[in-house]
Amino acid sequence: MRNILNFIIRYSKWFVFTLYVVVSCMLLVDNNVYQQSVYLTSANRVTGGVFGVWSQITGYFHLKSINESLQVTNADLQNQVLNLKSRLAELQSLRDDSTVNQSDRERFGYVSAAVINNNTRHPKNFFTINRGRLDGVRPGMGVVDQNGVVGIVNVTGDHLSRVISLLNETQVFSVKLKGTGFAGTLTWRGNDPAVGYVEEIPRHARYAIGDTIVTSGFSTSFPEGIPVGVVLNRVHGRDDSFFTFKVRLTSDFKALSSVRVIKDIYKNEIDSLATFDDIEKLVTGKKKDADKKKDADTKTEVKNNQ
Amino acid sequence: MGKEILNNVAILAVLILVQVLICNSIMLFNVAMAFVFIYVIIRLPMNLNTNWLLTWGFFAGLAVDMFSDTPGVNSLACTLLAMLKRPMLYAYVPRDDRTKDIEPSLSTLGFAVYGKYLISMSTVYCLLTFTIEYFNFADVKEIVIMSAASSLFTFLILLGVDSLIVTHREKRL
Repeated sequence: MRNILNFIIRYSKWFVFTLYVVVSCMLLVDNNVYQQSVYLTSANRVTGGVFGVWSQITGYFHLKSINESLQVTNADLQNQVLNLKSRLAELQSLRDDSTVNQSDRERFGYVSAAVINNNTRHPKNFFTINRGRLDGVRPGMGVVDQNGVVGIVNVTGDHLSRVISLLNETQVFSVKLKGTGFAGTLTWRGNDPAVGYVEEIPRHARYAIGDTIVTSGFSTSFPEGIPVGVVLNRVHGRDDSFFTFKVRLTSDFKALSSVRVIKDIYKNEIDSLATFDDIEKLVTGKKKDADKKKDADTKTEVKNNQ
Repeated sequence: MGKEILNNVAILAVLILVQVLICNSIMLFNVAMAFVFIYVIIRLPMNLNTNWLLTWGFFAGLAVDMFSDTPGVNSLACTLLAMLKRPMLYAYVPRDDRTKDIEPSLSTLGFAVYGKYLISMSTVYCLLTFTIEYFNFADVKEIVIMSAASSLFTFLILLGVDSLIVTHREKRL
């Protein structure tokens, strides 16, 4: 016994060393354990509090550029209002025949939030926003800023959430060429926070340099048509049976400040439809078991009767 | 002893804040980053028990990881760095001086020894952290360039930090 104790004390530094290395490697490799716990992310109360105070101080630095892009968006929106007004007037006469689908327009709601911590230099970037579970934010919701798509909510605390940035090599977004049905996937490959890649666009798609890439609306995270980027040029992809485009992203990720989280009121319904087959299988499986049991029961009954 | 620990905790807290709030958003010429918080591991007393050294390293790294959403990257690199601290220091400090209870700094070791020790520690740390984080992502050339540039940058910043943090009763070699 004494020998064992001596051994442990003598080599204690190696035990401690191994313990810390194993814990670090678990954090490094096993994403699931870590992602379930808010405490080890920037969305916990202490780190969130520090970043909250800091962003109040540094929030002023980007105001000028944000102001400029807001003015541009404002001008665009005013144009749209004017266009829509004239179109509305045009359609007013046909009102009796038209059937406007109200529910589709009100399908998505927005929660506005401020970015309190942001990273762009890692291969897997995240940012933290100051809205959480109590504000109705849930993992899987899309996040946009005034220019376009910026990420998807990943971990939610009570008052803070961590968002997977678009600048994260593991996150894929479903997008399409604006005005067409040609859909593909948007990924980020590191280095440049202003450039992404759109893959798997069918080869028969017609495109021009400068075409806008928008969200496809296939997921419940984003409605259709939110701008993501502009086509810079075509590059060689992994698979030559599809087009791969290099895309300039519309959002300035180095100056993220105010964003909106998108709520889809049909999210639960759509997600449950996606898993409908599994439920079906489960139900039919149970039914089959019950049938088998019934068969067996009747057989034994017949035997008994004989 | 207690006062020294408190002193180190205070330095660590300030350096972690500087790291996550300022240094994490600086990337010089797109290659060079500064890791200021490793200064605490570099500065801990020469004859401190290795178990304590490892504990300091691990939790310093974990704290930075929590702030910058890089789980495991800095905690692993810091643990390894803490393990390498003593061999690294012994490589430069003369045999007779190894038993003395000193905190390595510019004023206690002199520029020749401390400079070599500091650049070795920052190079090892940068190599470790970039290899761990960018593994599978960037090629070897990129990791080497980033590590070289970052270790030089970190070295310069840490020299500055060292001259800022002066304790009154430092023992000299």
